[in-house]
Amino acid sequence: MIQTIRIGSLLREAVSAPYRNLVTRPTGVAVRTRIEETLADSGCLTALLDFSEIELVDLSCADEVVAKLLLTVRTAYFVVLQGLREDHHEAIDHVLTHHHLAVAAVPPDSCRPRLLGWVSADAREAFAHIGGSGPLGVADLARGLGWSKTRSSEALADLAFNRLVQTIGELYYPLQTA
Amino acid sequence: MTRVIEVPAHFDDRSFDTFAAGFGEWPPAEKILLDARGTQWASPYGLIGLLTAGQALAEAKREKPLLTVPTNDEVKRYWARAGFFHQAADLFELHGKVPRSTTTGPSDVLLDVTPVRASEDVHGVVDKISEGASRILHGELGLEMKATLRFSMALSEACQNIVEHAGTSGWVAVQAYTFRRRLGRRVVVIAVSDAGVGFRRSLESTHAKRFGERWGDGAALEAALIQGVSRFRDPGRGQGLAFIKRFLDQWEGKISIRSGTARLSIVPPWDEDVPLSDHLPSFPGAQVQIIIPAQDSKPR
Repeated sequence: MIQTIRIGSLLREAVSAPYRNLVTRPTGVAVRTRIEETLADSGCLTALLDFSEIELVDLSCADEVVAKLLLTVRTAYFVVLQGLREDHHEAIDHVLTHHHLAVAAVPPDSCRPRLLGWVSADAREAFAHIGGSGPLGVADLARGLGWSKTRSSEALADLAFNRLVQTIGELYYPLQTA
Repeated sequence: MTRVIEVPAHFDDRSFDTFAAGFGEWPPAEKILLDARGTQWASPYGLIGLLTAGQALAEAKREKPLLTVPTNDEVKRYWARAGFFHQAADLFELHGKVPRSTTTGPSDVLLDVTPVRASEDVHGVVDKISEGASRILHGELGLEMKATLRFSMALSEACQNIVEHAGTSGWVAVQAYTFRRRLGRRVVVIAVSDAGVGFRRSLESTHAKRFGERWGDGAALEAALIQGVSRFRDPGRGQGLAFIKRFLDQWEGKISIRSGTARLSIVPPWDEDVPLSDHLPSFPGAQVQIIIPAQDSKPR
């Protein structure tokens, strides 16, 4: 099950004003707290954070809303971003790279997520491969990319650790986005 | 006794040190009279520097300073249009005729002199700037569209530094003008100033030790701007200035921060400033200036 959370609505609730700019740390903390409360009440495994009503994301809010959310909930939920514009990518990518974190983001014109932030080059390649191929195991990835099984296993473990793929049994699934 | 401090005729970041020297030790014991009668031009940095001086004197519980307004009508009108007198009325006893502020149509003043006291003010500043910033940055300066959002991010981060680190309120102003003497091109200038504790005191408890005897205003600025450190232990902090520095580098922009007795600048090729000026006349808080020049036609 996926819980879609509209960041624009949470922002308006948090600042009690019709702002479209996600700026300042106190605002970021307030929005993140509301996201955590929504997730705790929902019972869903995947959170789809929708930024489409947001004009600007500054670094402080990228850090408070996305990076700190990942640090807080990454053992419990899968987090996917959507509705991001190019400049949102820049701020979020910058702070996640700083923290050595990564998140999947669905571009507006595609259903295949891309990665923002920092993961190893192998994990990034494996992520792209799974996005195209669908669920696969270590041997499938090794065959698909011409890697050794050890290398494939490490890349998939990296993705699983960062909650960028879902593991069911021996298979690694791309994150649900719809 | 009254100490008379002349406001420089051309009042900007370069002449600011002369202005600061006029105060002597902070806070000055005497009543202060700021004499701006002969001032012919003031940058946003100069205007909010004046307000910062007034604020610092008020916070030090000194007698309300006097300010004689410029005699030049055009200069006065610009100061009024930039919202300076509106803010100065609370901090100074104004002497001289002050024109009423009138704004009609698009202006080079992108953001009036605006107080920054809390996070809500930063929201207000970012909301207010967005439309005008796009018109100037993209339309006049030839920057790519996404520059407007980076610019707003820089403004947001610079203003938040006041709320988070200064321990008091501050001021921000944004203006576009032609930088004739140094560059010969249009620029947009963000000026942010506060009368707070300054970088050295803000970072002292967490970072002074590792600098040892080198610790001072210059080292504190270096730690914040070059090394991206913050007084908070939170590893997510300290990224704002690093990000501003990165995109200014792309646009050949300049950032300079003055705090206490030092000023540190990231100097673009068109400017002759020195990266670090130390042993300057002391001035309260921190003053930040960000300059973004019109882009030349070379591909980037």
